[in-house]
Amino acid sequence: MRCVFSAIALLTALVVPPVDAGEVEFNRDIRPLLSDRCFACHGPDETHREADLRLDVEEAAKEWSIIAGEPDESELIARITSEDPDLRMPPADTDKSLSSEEIDLLTQWIAEGATYQPFWAYVAPQRHDVPSVDNTEWPINWIDYFILDRLTSEGLEPSSEADRVTLIRRLSFDLVGLPPTPQEVAEFTEDDSDQAYEQLVDRLLDSPHYGERMAMYWLDLVRYADTVGYHGDQDHAISPYRDYVINAFNENISFDRFTREQLAGDLVEGSGIEQKIASGYNRLLQTSHEGGVQPKEYLAIYAADRVRNVSSVWLGATMGCCQCHDHKFDPFTMKDFYSMAAFFADVDEAQHFKVGGNSLPTNRPPELELPTDEQSQLLEELDKQIAEAEAQLKEANDETKGPIEEQVKELKSKRDTVKRSIRRTMITVALEEPRTMRVLPRGNWLDDSGPIVEPAVPEFMGTIEADRATRLDLANWFTDPDDGAGLLTARVMVNRLWYLCFGSGLAGDLDDFGGQGEPPVHPELLDNLAVEFVDSGWDIKHMLKLIMMSRTYRQQSLDAPESREHDPNNRLYARQSRFRIPAESVRDAALSISGLLVNGSSGESIRPYQPAGYYRHLNFPTRTYTADSDERQWRRGVYMHWQRQFLHPMLKAFDAPSREECTAQRPRSNTPLAALTLLNDPTFVEASRAFASRVLAEAEESTDARLDFLFETALSRTPDETERTVLTDLLSNNWSHFEQDPDAAERLLGVGLTARNETTDPVELAAWTTVARAVLNLNETITRN
Amino acid sequence: MNDLTNLLSRRTFLSHTGVGLGSVALSSLMQGNVQADALAHHAAKAKRVIFLCMAGGPSHLETFDYRPKLAEMDGQPMPESFTAGQPIAQLQGKELKCQGPLAKFGRYGQSGQEISDFLPWHHKLADDIAIIRSMVTEQINHDPAHTFMNTGTAISGRPSMGSWVNYGLGSESSDLPGFVVMTSVGGRNPQPIASRQWDAGFLPSRYQGVELNASGDPVHYLSNPPGVTSSQQRQLIDAVNKLNAHRNSAVSNPEINTRIAAYEMAFRMQSSVPELVDMSDEPQYILDMYGAVPGDGSYASNCLMARRLAERGVRFIHLYHRGWDHHGDLVRYMNICCGLTDKPTWALLTDLKQRGMLDDTLIIWGGEFGRTPMFQGKGGIGRDHHIKGFSMWMAGGGVKGGVTHGSTDDLGYNAVEDVVHVRDLHATMLHLLGIDHRRFSVPYQGLDMRLTGVEESRVLQNILV
Repeated sequence: MRCVFSAIALLTALVVPPVDAGEVEFNRDIRPLLSDRCFACHGPDETHREADLRLDVEEAAKEWSIIAGEPDESELIARITSEDPDLRMPPADTDKSLSSEEIDLLTQWIAEGATYQPFWAYVAPQRHDVPSVDNTEWPINWIDYFILDRLTSEGLEPSSEADRVTLIRRLSFDLVGLPPTPQEVAEFTEDDSDQAYEQLVDRLLDSPHYGERMAMYWLDLVRYADTVGYHGDQDHAISPYRDYVINAFNENISFDRFTREQLAGDLVEGSGIEQKIASGYNRLLQTSHEGGVQPKEYLAIYAADRVRNVSSVWLGATMGCCQCHDHKFDPFTMKDFYSMAAFFADVDEAQHFKVGGNSLPTNRPPELELPTDEQSQLLEELDKQIAEAEAQLKEANDETKGPIEEQVKELKSKRDTVKRSIRRTMITVALEEPRTMRVLPRGNWLDDSGPIVEPAVPEFMGTIEADRATRLDLANWFTDPDDGAGLLTARVMVNRLWYLCFGSGLAGDLDDFGGQGEPPVHPELLDNLAVEFVDSGWDIKHMLKLIMMSRTYRQQSLDAPESREHDPNNRLYARQSRFRIPAESVRDAALSISGLLVNGSSGESIRPYQPAGYYRHLNFPTRTYTADSDERQWRRGVYMHWQRQFLHPMLKAFDAPSREECTAQRPRSNTPLAALTLLNDPTFVEASRAFASRVLAEAEESTDARLDFLFETALSRTPDETERTVLTDLLSNNWSHFEQDPDAAERLLGVGLTARNETTDPVELAAWTTVARAVLNLNETITRN
Repeated sequence: MNDLTNLLSRRTFLSHTGVGLGSVALSSLMQGNVQADALAHHAAKAKRVIFLCMAGGPSHLETFDYRPKLAEMDGQPMPESFTAGQPIAQLQGKELKCQGPLAKFGRYGQSGQEISDFLPWHHKLADDIAIIRSMVTEQINHDPAHTFMNTGTAISGRPSMGSWVNYGLGSESSDLPGFVVMTSVGGRNPQPIASRQWDAGFLPSRYQGVELNASGDPVHYLSNPPGVTSSQQRQLIDAVNKLNAHRNSAVSNPEINTRIAAYEMAFRMQSSVPELVDMSDEPQYILDMYGAVPGDGSYASNCLMARRLAERGVRFIHLYHRGWDHHGDLVRYMNICCGLTDKPTWALLTDLKQRGMLDDTLIIWGGEFGRTPMFQGKGGIGRDHHIKGFSMWMAGGGVKGGVTHGSTDDLGYNAVEDVVHVRDLHATMLHLLGIDHRRFSVPYQGLDMRLTGVEESRVLQNILV
């Protein structure tokens, strides 16, 4: 969401005073300016370079445009200050301009010698010394020293530690995506030992829900969905991949292995079923099963899709730009783009052009069948019976033949039924002859005039020594800290882990570590985290625990007026952040609070209630959505059927992405449509009824005790007097309303499939259901503080 | 609250809601003027857009582009000079032969514009519409072609033009979304339309199109739960807002104020939308004019709804009819689809005109592409997808009526004169709305993203008033 931050940068510029004299730093102050205002015409893209001037390379810039130490002699300064509109840079028709402060900054930089620095993201991180701070009481681990040092230099103070209830709610939402139960809250708040906090972090990291929460994020990155995406948006078989991701996080397999298994699970040594399922990563892209697609065109589209995703996920790079031209801001070339695509030229993806079709699910071989033990036994048994019957058939005469034939037919149809019910998943199978990959001039797939390319990593980043490098080589290169991009990958990933813990990355653009992305606010801290990640053996749980154990993480999230003024977007982390929980967690929280949540960590995707007719725009084939009528109805959001073209309206209302492209950071909107969803979606109405039933069954009978129960379950605290009054009024008004109209009470209680406790008074239950609706709609219920 | 605090809380609001604004819109947002004309580069001719999308790709050769030479060549091989090395859809590997026009054409209105007999009601509009006969696009399959028409690129994740327009201009309605989408039933086996087509992409999600459904809840989750009255719902929302406001006095979170406003708007929508979709206040002669049975999901009913939305200040109204993919049996399906859409389209323009609203409402008619001059025989005579030349029209809101812009070659294959790319259409639309497409950008992934992209695009000056 670069737009977010550029707007922020613009705003910040109004409050934060310009950098003091003598402090101009190329990476922080100058490169972003040059990149945004100049590089489009004077940067890496050779074909669109104007006046043969490039400013991104020091030697070229200093040939004649920049005279170090001599701003008055420098053509660059002359041109950006020229009064002549024909000479003035940037040209007026680009709608770019430089403010007088920015011109001063450039002038000062040249006066000070016009020192260039290598681009931060491509400089290998190294461990930096931990800065010394005066207040040695505050830091808990080395993260805190970096944070405190910067705060102190900006004249800011860190916030005090959050209260324990806030801490356990924060940790629970961050690590398992669910609110804590009142028992968990009580245990933690009553535990005075020094280890209480650490034990809580450990317990949550060990929870099976941890993998579900982490998968929510990873599945956005790799654009996992249950449907093909284009045109008919048919279902495809892939949900075992989702289960693999959940398990991988739960088992905390190292990130380098996780990388290898997804990119090259078919090629790794000892490739077993799990690795083959993981290789489904290469099949997650959107495909089209529209009649009349030209395979050659779509293979080009698929190749580009894979490059965009893989470069975004592992390198934080926007290589997509290079499909048609060399990158405008970063040193990626078109050749790099197509060479990266060539790694995936062996992925068997063309079969669906012949057998894909409009069936539901569609066929996208190669797929792996995953029969349960029961199904395997049954098939074995049926095969035996078929073989026997066929043997009999050979012996049979004309009279006995008929019934046996009938029997064989029946057995075979039984076998087909079992076969069809077997869970399948798309996997990667390497073609013996990889497709030829060419540079497509201007991205035009009809143009075969470009040179043929072999698999290769971006040229400026190095090379892989191999006859023909494979996906496995690429995966190893991504995670090789010595001869590969390992340290960049580590930086990209730890920045995202940091984001999960703070709501913003140390480098603000989680998917753009290029020149147009925001440089990290704490580059040294990001370096140290990246090195730590590699040194830990790519241990994700270790990194999360490290961050969460810090004092920085434990701060309260309320913003003090002075920090709000100085650092309105909390980029310096003088407090924690507060934000609405992700879409899936909004659902999960309601189910968990109401007691409806059904656990389970695998299986076909689930289908919650959905407005009738929502799929009416789908065709080939037309679609009828049937909501699950069993326990799958109450499983977590991460298991929901992800229909790319028509994502469940509840998920959409809370900003879950369609997963057509890599999403590293979801927006957090706050809209009337989201309000209508929480108010009226049957899932939440049913949850309110179940929640109310719990209140009546589990709390003491008084209204006060019941309100306590409601608040403690949903918000981990008791209500104050004002809150009691508001809810008591709501209760009594609704009670009298439903008393006068008991049918209405029955109708409200009829929402959802869960059976109703028939012993409770419907009027009372309906009135409490309304109170429960109020609680589930509170900002606090869906906010992580 | 002093001005600075006000500014700062807005800023926090922006960052929390994922709003990133172009600098132009930002300046007026800071003045607290979010809704009304946030951005205007020059005086606008049109205030709103109604986009009538004939999904599937109507044949230009049977609507607005008469090619007598193609009639002469009927049945003969299509000259390879046209087709060699060109993208092609279902006719891949098939013999390519010319298919003459399957319709009669006449000249209509004082302007004498050529329109086929499939569209008798359009004959009456000849002097109101500017026909563009030289459209080209870059995508030959439906789904990406719609994405291209709506966002200017085939790559997913970019904002639809309706989102762009609302982002730039804001909505004029305080209780309806600024971008409303409707699809119509009837016609051939309907085209799938992905919700990507009205997605806000990297713009804040409040700019995304909202579907107005003909059956069930007109907007998802609009109705109260069963057994809950409007006054109970009001009480509930009041309680939620009171509790949120109370909490906010302790935690001072600007996001809570936004949520309170969102709940208020949600409640207003619960009455404004039913009022909108209740057409019982429409007199019979209006219903007859459109041929509409209110709320039946037909194109006719949706055209009438489009007028009601326009009256209520909705900025961008996108209406899809999904029956235009005529690979075979073209004459029959043209009769059906034109039968369903021709008269209501006339009625919409005429009704807007009689209300004085056509002057500031821009209407755009067309599909995601056209159809081949070559024969396809998938169940009777038909035509395949075609992107190198096709027709659309624009009317109202600053567009000159009675003009024909551009032309295709003799066989209706390539647009050859005054070629209009999709991005030219976008540039023209934005121009009429008072927006200079070159200066209307949002930074995203390091680029200044524009609806019209980075290639040169131009405003079609000669169809402007």
